[in-house]
Amino acid sequence: MSALQRFSLFSRGQLVVLGLLAMVPLVDLFVPGVQLAAPMRNVIVFAILALGLNIVVGWTGLLHLGIAAFMAIGAYAFGILTCEIYPFQVGFWWGVILAGLIGAFAGWLLGAPTLRLRGDYLAIVTLGFGEIVQDALKNLEIITKGTQGINPLPAPTFPGFVMSAEHPFPWFYLYLGILAVIVFLCRNLEFSRLGRQLFAVREDELAARCMAISPDKAKLKAFAFGAALAAVAGALSASLLSSTGEPSNYDFQISILALCIVIVGGIGSITGVLVGAIVMVGLNNVVLPQATQALQRHGVDSTANVLSSPDNYKYMLFGLALVLMMRYRPDGIVYSRKAARK
Amino acid sequence: MLQFARLTTVLGSLAIAATAFAADSIKIISSLPRTGSANAQTTSMVNGIKMAIAEVGTINGATILYEDWDDASAQRGNWDPAVEAANADKAIADKSILAYIGTYNSGASKISMPKLNAAGLVMVSPANTAPNLTKPGFGEPNEPAVYRPSGKISYFRVVPTDDVQGAVAADFAKETGAKKVFVLNDREVYGKGVAGVFEKHAKEIGLEVVGTDGIDAKASNYKSVVTKIKQAGADLVYFGGTTQTNAGQLAKDIVTVGLKARLIVPDGCYEQAFIEAAGAKALEGRAFITFGGKEPKALTGKGKDFYENYKKAYGGEPEGYAVYGYESAKVVLTAMQNIAKAGGKLTRESVLAEVAKTKNFSGALGTWSFDANGDTTNRTMSVNTVKDGKFETVKVVE
Amino acid sequence: MTPTEVFMQQVIYGLSNGMIIALVALGYTMVYGIVELINFAHGDLFMLGGFFALTIVGALGAAGVLDIAHMGDHSNWLLLFGLVIAAGVFCGGLNVAIDRVVYKPMRKSPKLTQLVAAIGVSFIIVNLGLFWGGAPMEVFGGGNAAAASKDFPEILEGSNLLGEDSNIVLRLEDLAIFIVTIPLMIALTIFVKKTRLGRGMRATAQNPVAAKLMGIDTDRVISATFLIGGFLGGAASVMWSLYNNTISFQMGFRAGMDAFTAAVLGGIGSMPGAMLGGVLIGLIRAMSDQYIETRWTNVVVFGVLILILVFRPSGLLGLKQREKV
Repeated sequence: MSALQRFSLFSRGQLVVLGLLAMVPLVDLFVPGVQLAAPMRNVIVFAILALGLNIVVGWTGLLHLGIAAFMAIGAYAFGILTCEIYPFQVGFWWGVILAGLIGAFAGWLLGAPTLRLRGDYLAIVTLGFGEIVQDALKNLEIITKGTQGINPLPAPTFPGFVMSAEHPFPWFYLYLGILAVIVFLCRNLEFSRLGRQLFAVREDELAARCMAISPDKAKLKAFAFGAALAAVAGALSASLLSSTGEPSNYDFQISILALCIVIVGGIGSITGVLVGAIVMVGLNNVVLPQATQALQRHGVDSTANVLSSPDNYKYMLFGLALVLMMRYRPDGIVYSRKAARK
Repeated sequence: MLQFARLTTVLGSLAIAATAFAADSIKIISSLPRTGSANAQTTSMVNGIKMAIAEVGTINGATILYEDWDDASAQRGNWDPAVEAANADKAIADKSILAYIGTYNSGASKISMPKLNAAGLVMVSPANTAPNLTKPGFGEPNEPAVYRPSGKISYFRVVPTDDVQGAVAADFAKETGAKKVFVLNDREVYGKGVAGVFEKHAKEIGLEVVGTDGIDAKASNYKSVVTKIKQAGADLVYFGGTTQTNAGQLAKDIVTVGLKARLIVPDGCYEQAFIEAAGAKALEGRAFITFGGKEPKALTGKGKDFYENYKKAYGGEPEGYAVYGYESAKVVLTAMQNIAKAGGKLTRESVLAEVAKTKNFSGALGTWSFDANGDTTNRTMSVNTVKDGKFETVKVVE
Repeated sequence: MTPTEVFMQQVIYGLSNGMIIALVALGYTMVYGIVELINFAHGDLFMLGGFFALTIVGALGAAGVLDIAHMGDHSNWLLLFGLVIAAGVFCGGLNVAIDRVVYKPMRKSPKLTQLVAAIGVSFIIVNLGLFWGGAPMEVFGGGNAAAASKDFPEILEGSNLLGEDSNIVLRLEDLAIFIVTIPLMIALTIFVKKTRLGRGMRATAQNPVAAKLMGIDTDRVISATFLIGGFLGGAASVMWSLYNNTISFQMGFRAGMDAFTAAVLGGIGSMPGAMLGGVLIGLIRAMSDQYIETRWTNVVVFGVLILILVFRPSGLLGLKQREKV
């Protein structure tokens, strides 16, 4: 670790990605007909989710397949705390902060009894927890409104700025600001005492124990931090949609997407996770829809039969992209020397 | 870093390529889940929409552009709230878009309705039936006002809502001589809503509800659930759900487990795919499907034309979903034609105002109007069964 | 129905569903045991097996060999065994091919890289299933609604073996699951225990480097494992189609998830464990559907799983592994 790293807010890679993101609204302004800022807010949400997952998977070396559960907990906590049909109505900022704390608590609650489990056993526990949370949210209608979802939820507030569907730029910059703060926190965590403990646990649990590190405590902290970030992502996503959506919007597929972001981007690297979020969510939410719509505009019929509709190739393209990236960039797009190499 | 820079360029150029189009044209878009399991249903709808557009041809010499947008994503395999939100934002920003047809899932409409309403863009749903989207008293106290930030009504639907459909189903259940009913739902907005109405109305008219439960649409089979229903002694099962949420499997398991009970399902199952999934054998004489409107071939007037034209164009009987898709596009296009005839200018405001004024519209679902909530006044429901592998109407409730 | 009858009935359904899960779980656990890959695509491969079997049925129907409309009137055991073998060989071969093309070149990559590649393969296979559903065949509904579920004709006659008046229903298909799966499991156990290749598998699972040094062709062992795992998945898909009479391009997801859960519950890498885990999950599902509520069944299944793992961290039959230093 060089002195420069210690005293600068961000690494060079992080600065480049955050800087490029900051220029996205310029594209909207100068290229007619393009709106990138609005969908890119969702990319930021997933970047935060994946940064949380990265603490657990990338730095601590635990396979976590249920991060969506904590996103759901964050979204519903935010919904219950801020929606006008509940008595709390704490507003956006307290909603996000409390959602994060509740997420951390949920992470701790799941982690405490199960963190002794080895690798893939832990993976199935997290997967199972994801299913449990989803079904519980669906079934506990008195609290969560079941499948109806909770709406409307407040947009962010910031003195002097209006944030609404028609004004995506302030909203975008606010989310980018939150992302920058979280990147800064993650970077500090990475080089902190706890961060080094996590790396030690990942590389060799037994050796870590010999160095007087308690792997269980370290893992539990990683789990809670990861869950907190996922919950914040859930809260931001709910605010963005003005609704918690349905519980099934936080299913296993979301956990898988977060995992793909971390690994495709470059496991263990904060810059990698940011790039991964842009690539994966961009592919899923921007590139594939735009591409299929463009094909339609050029006369490709969407209903004639199953092979002719461009939408029917989305699974294939998404899957192919994953396979090819893993084949030719096995360490992710951004390679981190510190990253997991078991 | 280089890879990343290259990717953003690709991303940017794609977006630019996608948005280069003629400025002076009338554009309608639909936002329906096209990726994943709803594809079969939404393909019928898109066919219906396309047919309506082909029939109208041009308005004031301007061609009508139509784009079939997907509100599902590959990664979710189902409607994706982020994509639906993005579709709404995109539609609002593209000023040539004058109407938004969608959505398929009531949950998705909850996301896009407030956005489109604030922008004054008319939205017509061919499939949403959750009553709380438009009618007060069915959901939370703040519904439906929360979906209308502008205070005006901009969301319309051509399908009767669940409160009508569930009640018709319960009345029909009583007519068949059922005494004990078991109510299942698929734990989704649509299925849960219509099953809730059925349950409430069934109790009001003196049917005994011996149990309720919510199934897992992804389960391999429902033999254990049906065994429980058998033990409860039910002589009728109501399932609030769709073909997509496994109504076909449930129908089969009722037969396999030897439950001697009839099955009633809502219009989410009024499609050939339901018969194909369940197998005609499991349905004949024992399953009943309610549908908001008369069966296409029983229609008269404009409805008859639709039926004939559809058969000519697609070489098969139109599905319930195709009719709904056709009707929602047709009502918008008729409003546009009316404006053009009166010499008005086609804008979002004028189209919205004209659609809201729709009265005694004669279409494929009969003659109907939009009421003050934006719902169809069409209360015609038909109850259908399956005979020789085809739907057959057994009762029409006006 | 008396409470005892209800219980018996649920045991029948729980066991039958559980045996199918167990067959799929075996494919997971075998591949995991050899290459430590959580093969996310296994459930989807299983799905393709069902589509392959339905295509054969459709082709035989078109050729006049089968009368599809009246298939449920008589039991056709020959067809059942034929389909099990055909779908098994198809899925086994495909599994080997996928391993060669996708997983083998990245065998030395980090485990998570392989996991994500498997996720990618799973998406691709789901898409192939969607296309397959659009095949212009009578059994696929003429291909008009590709994404819709497909009805799988009845292979066995469907009357109640305990008599039409009995409250408990036991049909040939319930028995057929045991008639097919139990010999398959026995054969597999004998194969792994007694044959040369089986011993090679066990050696490779224990320590691939040592196995190689002992002259075992580990590449061949890995291919054989993918072949057998895929074969069991294909066989399971025919049993599923026989039992549920429905296939859909998305059925691999839940089947895969249940099977993965079963494999872990039993102790990942352990073949008897996978069988036990599958049967247990089937039984828990049936009991929860009956005595709790089906809307809570997933919560019950995963709740039990977490509880068991808290007290038995290596699964029910898994070996407690010492940390290697």
